[in-house]
Amino acid sequence: MEKNYKKNIRRLKYTFIGVFFCALFCVSLVNAESIQRSGFRAERLDSYLRKIELAYQVSFVYDATQINKAMSIEAPLKLVSINSDLEPLRSKGISYNIVGKQVILKKAIKAVAAKDITVKGRVRSTKDSQPIPGVSIREKGVANGTSTGVDGEYQITVKEGATLVYSAIGYKTVEMVVNGRTAIDVSIEDDVSQLKEVTISTGYQVLNKKLFTGAATTLKGSDVKQDGIVDVSRMLEGRAAGVSVSNVSGTFGSAPKIRIRGATSITGENKPLWVVDGVILEDIVNISNEQLSTGDASTLIGSSVAGINSDDIESFQILKDASATAQYGARAMNGVIVITTKKGRVGKPVISYTGNFSTYLKPSYDNFNIMNSNDQMSVYSELERKGWFNHATTSRASDGGVFTKMYQLINTYDQTSGNFGLANTPAARSTYLQRYAQTNTDWFDILFKNSLLQEHSVSISSGTDKSQLYISTSYLNDNGWAQGNSVERYTANVNATFQLSNSVTASILTTGAIRDQKAPGTVGRVSNPVEGRYSRDFDINPFSYALNTSRTMTAFNEDGSRESFTRNFAPFNILNELDNNTLDLSLLDFKLQGGLGIKITKDLKYDLLGSLRYVKSGQEHKVRENANMAMAYRANGDSYIQENNRFLYRNPDDPEAQPVVVLPYGGFYNTTDDFLKTYMVRNSLEYNKTFNEDHIVNVYGTQEMRIANRQVRNMIGYGFQYDKGGIPFVDPNIVKQAVESNLNYYGMQNKYDRFAAFMMRGAYSYKGKYSFNATGRYDGSNKLGRSNTARWLPTWNVSGAWNVDTENFMQNQNVVSRLTLRGTYGLTASLGSASNSSLVLRNGSALRPYLSEVESVMNIISLENSDLTWEKQYETNIGLDVGFLSDRLTLTVDAYKRNGFDLISPIRTSGIGGQYIKDANYADMKSKGLEVTIGGDIMKSKDWSWKTNFNFGYNENKVTNLKGVPTIFDLVGSDGAAREGFPYRGLYSLVLTGLNAQTGIPEFINQEGETSNDVYLQSDKTEFLKYEGPIDPKLTGGFYNTVRFKAFTFSALFTFSAGNKIRLNPIFANSYSDLDATPNEFKNRWSLPGDELVTNIPSIVDRASSNDLSGTYPYNNYNYSTARVADGGFIRLKQVSLSYSLTPTMLKRIGVNNASLSVVGNNFWLIYSDKKLYGQDPEFFSSGGVALPIPRQYTLSLKIGI
Amino acid sequence: MKKIIYLSILTALSLVSCKKFLDQQPDDRTELNSAVKVAEVLASAYPHGNYIPFTEAMSDNADDKNTTSRDNKNSLPWQYKDQEVNGDEIDTPPFYWNECYRAISAANAALETIANASNPQEYSASKGEALVARAYAHFMLVTLFSKSYNPATASSDPGIPYVTKLEKSVDSKYERGTIAFVYEQIEKDLIEGIPLIQDNTYKVPKYHFTTVAAHAFAARFYLFKRDYQKVIDHSELTFPGSSIVNSLREWNTTYTNSTYYVLQAQYTNSIEPANLLLAEANTVWGRSYAGYNYGLNTNLLFSVMGSANPLGYALVMQSNIYGSGPEVYNIPKFVEHFVKESISANFGDPYNMIPLLTAEEVLFNRAEAFARLGNNAAALININAYLSKRIEAYSPVSDVLTQEMVTDYYEGQSVTDAVISTILNFKRGEYMHEGLRWFDVVRLKIPIVHKSFDNKVTITLGPDDPRRVIQIPKESITLGLAPNPR
Repeated sequence: MEKNYKKNIRRLKYTFIGVFFCALFCVSLVNAESIQRSGFRAERLDSYLRKIELAYQVSFVYDATQINKAMSIEAPLKLVSINSDLEPLRSKGISYNIVGKQVILKKAIKAVAAKDITVKGRVRSTKDSQPIPGVSIREKGVANGTSTGVDGEYQITVKEGATLVYSAIGYKTVEMVVNGRTAIDVSIEDDVSQLKEVTISTGYQVLNKKLFTGAATTLKGSDVKQDGIVDVSRMLEGRAAGVSVSNVSGTFGSAPKIRIRGATSITGENKPLWVVDGVILEDIVNISNEQLSTGDASTLIGSSVAGINSDDIESFQILKDASATAQYGARAMNGVIVITTKKGRVGKPVISYTGNFSTYLKPSYDNFNIMNSNDQMSVYSELERKGWFNHATTSRASDGGVFTKMYQLINTYDQTSGNFGLANTPAARSTYLQRYAQTNTDWFDILFKNSLLQEHSVSISSGTDKSQLYISTSYLNDNGWAQGNSVERYTANVNATFQLSNSVTASILTTGAIRDQKAPGTVGRVSNPVEGRYSRDFDINPFSYALNTSRTMTAFNEDGSRESFTRNFAPFNILNELDNNTLDLSLLDFKLQGGLGIKITKDLKYDLLGSLRYVKSGQEHKVRENANMAMAYRANGDSYIQENNRFLYRNPDDPEAQPVVVLPYGGFYNTTDDFLKTYMVRNSLEYNKTFNEDHIVNVYGTQEMRIANRQVRNMIGYGFQYDKGGIPFVDPNIVKQAVESNLNYYGMQNKYDRFAAFMMRGAYSYKGKYSFNATGRYDGSNKLGRSNTARWLPTWNVSGAWNVDTENFMQNQNVVSRLTLRGTYGLTASLGSASNSSLVLRNGSALRPYLSEVESVMNIISLENSDLTWEKQYETNIGLDVGFLSDRLTLTVDAYKRNGFDLISPIRTSGIGGQYIKDANYADMKSKGLEVTIGGDIMKSKDWSWKTNFNFGYNENKVTNLKGVPTIFDLVGSDGAAREGFPYRGLYSLVLTGLNAQTGIPEFINQEGETSNDVYLQSDKTEFLKYEGPIDPKLTGGFYNTVRFKAFTFSALFTFSAGNKIRLNPIFANSYSDLDATPNEFKNRWSLPGDELVTNIPSIVDRASSNDLSGTYPYNNYNYSTARVADGGFIRLKQVSLSYSLTPTMLKRIGVNNASLSVVGNNFWLIYSDKKLYGQDPEFFSSGGVALPIPRQYTLSLKIGI
Repeated sequence: MKKIIYLSILTALSLVSCKKFLDQQPDDRTELNSAVKVAEVLASAYPHGNYIPFTEAMSDNADDKNTTSRDNKNSLPWQYKDQEVNGDEIDTPPFYWNECYRAISAANAALETIANASNPQEYSASKGEALVARAYAHFMLVTLFSKSYNPATASSDPGIPYVTKLEKSVDSKYERGTIAFVYEQIEKDLIEGIPLIQDNTYKVPKYHFTTVAAHAFAARFYLFKRDYQKVIDHSELTFPGSSIVNSLREWNTTYTNSTYYVLQAQYTNSIEPANLLLAEANTVWGRSYAGYNYGLNTNLLFSVMGSANPLGYALVMQSNIYGSGPEVYNIPKFVEHFVKESISANFGDPYNMIPLLTAEEVLFNRAEAFARLGNNAAALININAYLSKRIEAYSPVSDVLTQEMVTDYYEGQSVTDAVISTILNFKRGEYMHEGLRWFDVVRLKIPIVHKSFDNKVTITLGPDDPRRVIQIPKESITLGLAPNPR
């Protein structure tokens, strides 16, 4: 059937060609012999033909059934030449052909007016007969076209005799003559050679891959999309070699820690640059990778990509080496991620709907190593025996659990009944404690729920040759996994492209996102160098609360009402707190972008790109009057509390007076607003020409300017009365207290970012065999401060590629279908954290106690550093791309070496200049790495297909020059520290020698190399510390498989990471309170001499001996010892999904183009992690605030296309 | 082609406009470009570090109380051990060193702006303050980190770097110079600066070098330089004749009648007339000095604060020593101003207001200068003026200290020496907890013996002991400054 079909087409084609040439020939003849005619008369055809036969000695051949010899024609009176004399036949519809002495006459085919017909059909692949979506179908020579839907079907209205051209990337182009048919099914063949024509988008240019010589990974949006994962940055996890994504917090809006090829700066942000549709995506607040784990409220707006609807993404390009990122010059040191969003397609409107319905699973104590209430109570009993819970101090504790409550009850005397809250008898106490010992509170159950997240996204794509339009909108609603958390997000995206004339194209892109989010109220985390800890007041993060709160405590009284314990001398119940202390976040992100392209000549193109983005975000921290934070300001029960409650106000003007309450009514209404306004304009010229088919040349020059203005403002609202109609009641003393403490109750700060750049890139390729590329860029920024020398920086790179497969010697084999060798060397840079190329001054108020003494003071924040410059690195990259067996198996290998220099690091100076610690460009860091990606279409048939992708990146870095001398404390913290000769962030430990045989107190090798329980953490003698390993994984990667059987597709993504160390949570202390939740390790603690031989879990020290420890902190040191380190490596089944696509017949029945249903499990299974973590997520450090771990999540996803 | 020309013109234009475009400051930083701002930067031209914790511990005003607390910041200086700590450890010599130089850089920033200003007369008062503040910080550095001034050896004894220019690059080099050079520079700045000062330009005068404070500092400087006539001259300019009495602390009336907290608040308050120059210092001294192991103990309570003086009875301060026992004996002199990290944080930076120059010191310096110049009578007039505010229920008739009483008490000493000894005796008690004793110890090479409570450890500091000179910070040594001999 198909063969016949082809024959027919061929025949038809020849006929057409014949007629075409004939017409051409005739016309030219007429032109050649234009002569004057004297006259005509009517004559019978046969007699006229006979006359000519005689005159020119020719004979006529014709089919008498076609030509009526009796017809009358207008014959010339006088014969001139055979051609002109035969001309009159034409007006009668007779054509002639002179062959030698014979003239063949034919009835000419009448040119009839062509009729419009509608052609329908389906395009399939020749290889597996599968329908191919997205095939472009054009009517040849006319501006008319469409494309196939998801099921490969198309419909187009064309002229009856038109020729249709079927084309798709990766397939050979096919032409079909319609010839009046209304149904044309076509099969198209794979085109391996065309695969190499794939383009690479650098965000500036779309380059022919032959001309692209850098290391880059392209990911199709539809391939990496993880249904149910709303933040697009998390979709990259395990997908591209060399890109490591650590989920330090799973809360919506907080970005994961992303590194491309590891760290490049010691003090900088180390974040890749995000580029969306050619424009750098600025963050509203700059949050470095390190700050991500703080859990501060600002991390929620730290990720601008959180406003992108993942359904709008066409592709990701991850640019890794110096050549790939060259066009970003001095901002590209950390790699670039280019997102291209979807554009409208030529064809009738296609409407797509995606709906995701996810549920999060509650965490459970199985994954955490926390004592149950019975074991916990026995620990408390030991603490009580050892004198920790004595009546006097425990009853007055500012924070307390069951024991504090017990003593408070004993102290409470009810005058009416004449009874105490609890009788002070051993029996009564024991009964009281019994209840809490048996309660075994499941805080995870109380504070978490199996929530529902729903995401709806609708898009319409439509277009003609002249204009294409893509419109999408989405809605996301997460009603909250942890109590007090919820999110709503709306996005909209309009992307229009217009072909204004043959040489002018214009595009307009508008995107908008609105977010409303709720989180538990939080105040910023502050590092406390005195105790060597981070602390956060009033932390009510549900996750860290569940993790750190004793299971002996209860959320509800026996009568079901909420039970309170003491915190900050005020009653505290976590559920009450989550209701009364909230953070409301709103965000509006709007982007307007326009582009204009002009073809000046065939080879020269001018482009203009302009963009405006406006982001407004507001945080409202609402502390209602019943919140613990508000009540703490009012706790002044007795003189002891008055003296010790730090939230009361001691008036310096009245030194004898007791501290007083300054928040008599209401709570707090604290607001923080962030604004970002950015503008960008880019002019570029691109010259693209192929000379003699062998020399492909591309020259690109651009000039760019960027402005980003950021503003943050905050306000502390005192005494807001939420339940009294929202009226503030301000005690002037609370403002006086703030002013006297040099705390401003409101503030505003601006940041101005100005950027200018000029760039030139030249690419040349000889026959597509050898490519050469050179880029130079000149960047200017105001970020270093006002200085004419520091602000400019040139960067450059050269690269080349050899397409070995195009060589002759590769033509006689069919194993290797593609083989490219690449090499790059160049300089990249990035702006460091310092901005003091000129003197930095800032005003403040003098730090003096009395208002009469306070004046405005100008402080030198930083002295001028005239040598300040950008952080830079030289990078060498060698790459290899191989395709085997028609690219069914592909392999990409990249090896790189980076030499970072001029890195900014704080350096301790003599102080004589006036600034003891200065930021200077002096540190050096070397890193090297290897990236491997193996991809394969293992099976490909009509019913079965199996695709696989395995990738990993290995990165190792070493600081080679660092003058700063870290102290022991700097090195042993969980965030690690830089040290010369070691990785950029290394983790170090005090060496635990064992437990003291008499006391069970841990002993270490101290700074002098002696065994002791006393280590001076401020010492800079660090040679006795043990280096454990880097805190960033050396190896990260992913393994992705997708198997299709008929309409079912099953896929699984494994991710893995290895080579880093984690500091376990600091849980040991000289003393414990009845709030502490202790881990199960405590069961094996030292309790009797001899235990030190079998355990290294230290004893609980008794109160008397703890006085002997005064000034030494062996338990704190234990937290920083070799005993408290775990391996950070893990293997995780990140995602599994099973989807079912409806068959074409079913689709027809319900009237849609395509429909599929998937079930997805995200964060499915932690297959391997260090036993010491007891199943806890090695990526998540409990950091409080707004941070939450990534939960296990199940999603039902529905996709429909109409 | 035309288009290309236009485009290149556009590019060229944009290059020119780039300079202005990139001149935008990256944040809200301010610039030093007006007289008001120069005055404000000078508010930070005073050291915000505290020398008391280590000078007090090194002096003979600190004895072993035999408590369990052994804070390095208190015990290392008591043992004359160098504190090789980082320069951000408050209450240590490296921190004070850094703070002095930070103050100097603020003064130099102001002076640099003034030098480049088109209207220098508008800045003249600020110039005066900057020069005197710069002199003060250098003087404190040279006194603590170099040998005491000795005219015979000053031109060869190593001084400290005298910085007159704002540092522009990280690897700037400095040299110690000689003590003579440093003194020369201090004197030069002082002489140039004092006449320019205008008290009415200050918003909070007590935290700035007023004319009075500048002369008081000059008196201290010349006392160290042993130029006694100038000490008297500057003291007279500070408080002419007997007017100083009105500025002394009212110990025998208001002070002694005050309660603990009121006294504590009064002592470092700017409304106290005796405080001539105050500076805020980042320190834990105020909350710690009572509890430090090396400090005021029972022994010192009776010797220094007691009746061991030519009067034969204790001054009123002794009856204002608080504390439940010798472990926590203290005269309430410092109130802590706690600058919290955030509104509800429980930690932050503790500050004390330190009286850098006081009326009593001017009086003592003038008295000593009179004595050194042989005018013992004038010296005694000054001492008696002091005692009029220190003797409980003072009687101008019966409570007069005579030359006879002095020579009787300091048997075997010349009149002048005995008068000076008397001055130093009262001065030592007056500045208990204030660290000023150490400055007399180094100036006059007073030997000190530190004995542990159990008498097992004895540390003797002879008159020429190299440990009298505090070691310069380790970073400065690393960067090429010669360390002090040990």
